[in-house]
Amino acid sequence: MLEAFKKVGQLVLSLSGVVVIWSLFANSGFISQNLFPTPGQVWRAAINLYQDGVLMSDLHISLTRAAIGFSIGASLGILLGLLTARVKIVSIALEPFLNLLRPIPAIALVPVAIVWFGIGEGSKYFVIAYTVFLAVWLNTHAGASEVASTYIRAARSLGASRTREFFEVIIPASAPAIFVGLRLGAALAFLSLVAAELSGASAGIGFRLQDARQFIRTDRMFVGLIQLGILGALLDAAFAYTGRRLVHWENA
Amino acid sequence: MDTQTKIGRIDLKGAEITFKAPKGGKIEALAPTNLVIEAGSFISLIGPSGCGKSTLLNAVGGFVPLTAGTIELDGEPVTGINPDVGVVFQQYALFPWFTALGNVMFALKRFKTSKEDRLERAYAALKEVGLEGREKTYPGQLSGGMRQRVALARVFVTSPKVLLMDEPFGALDAQTRVAMHEILLRIWEAHRTTVLFVTHDVDEALILSDRAHIMSAGPGRIIETMDVTQERPRHVDNIGPDFLKARNHIIRLLRQPSAEDH
Repeated sequence: MLEAFKKVGQLVLSLSGVVVIWSLFANSGFISQNLFPTPGQVWRAAINLYQDGVLMSDLHISLTRAAIGFSIGASLGILLGLLTARVKIVSIALEPFLNLLRPIPAIALVPVAIVWFGIGEGSKYFVIAYTVFLAVWLNTHAGASEVASTYIRAARSLGASRTREFFEVIIPASAPAIFVGLRLGAALAFLSLVAAELSGASAGIGFRLQDARQFIRTDRMFVGLIQLGILGALLDAAFAYTGRRLVHWENA
Repeated sequence: MDTQTKIGRIDLKGAEITFKAPKGGKIEALAPTNLVIEAGSFISLIGPSGCGKSTLLNAVGGFVPLTAGTIELDGEPVTGINPDVGVVFQQYALFPWFTALGNVMFALKRFKTSKEDRLERAYAALKEVGLEGREKTYPGQLSGGMRQRVALARVFVTSPKVLLMDEPFGALDAQTRVAMHEILLRIWEAHRTTVLFVTHDVDEALILSDRAHIMSAGPGRIIETMDVTQERPRHVDNIGPDFLKARNHIIRLLRQPSAEDH
């Protein structure tokens, strides 16, 4: 309880400090407020966007894209990660290819995705799923490759079939690494979401940023940036919390 | 001897294990060994690290293949991991994602009996090792001694023919270790499983076993076999002249190889 109070206190203190410095800087006259808005201007821009209904609809659209792309990428990543780590033939067939994919950044895939899936939702899902997939696959693969041999020996000497060994030993033993991958994947989903929305979208947080650029509305841009920051932090905290709950034995 | 104790006889016939050395040579982990382990007996393997005691144990468990010779369990050659051979590892062998009960149930799952029956047996096994009331606890919340008691329950619940124990109490403090010896002997006397117990602790071997094989390194081999005839229960705080004599003899034997090195 005291820990929680300390954390909230730290958060409030740190954020108010930033707002104060930001406010002093924006009001100092060194920089035009058109380029660097004050906290008050950003707040008013946020209220305006909210009243227009775009703030919430953008949020909804972006979150839906991120969630769908994440789900596709994460499921594929876990499935393939377990297979490349534990099934020799799959690892021989796929590992070199996946290692070639890894250095290709998601942004580089945006043009291809638009040609393949058009300017609609499909291309967004594809780019997000791709990024999430790589992060989740890599971590799952690493975790499932390094399952302690004592666990496997114990399972086999207790007469477990290969199927039971896979579901009751390999998967739970890899779960901590899978969660690291999912948490990383969630953060990366936001990165590639914005990359996908910046070029070729008609709604969403990334689109709103690009749209504000046309009118040099830095206050609106700041709203978008802050939105992304808060969303990302909340999501990360949620993942960390769920991870601790589900993989409870790791911190025991 | 009744018929029950006839199950669990191990025969090593010229069993030999060599590993490839990093520089292309060969390491003889276990020199050709002939050994008969009587059904229902408690046998210790003592020796310094690298003497092949764990290798021998792993070969009986089917974890390590033989280079030459055979190992037979009740006349059947050991060809791989066999659930009739139970194993208690030094540590980390309990599944931390299952409760104590879940770990014991894992061992029972291969029996196609009803879940009620399996649960009943699992609860009984945990009670036998003195963990009544701790069934729903995760291994991470148990002390080292309690974890090894769960491991004992998990392995004894299926009544294996042979039980292999690789320095199972090596990580425990002295008091807990004495308590574990008592629990192990009590369960062993109830089940009469053949036990093959690897340790580097001479006292532990003399307190627990019917017979101790003293091993030496380079190549790994049995250099002497000693029968422990003293009546059970034996206690470290109540040792007689026979015990001391045996203890001194084994310690002298174990010191020899390193003396040759100098």
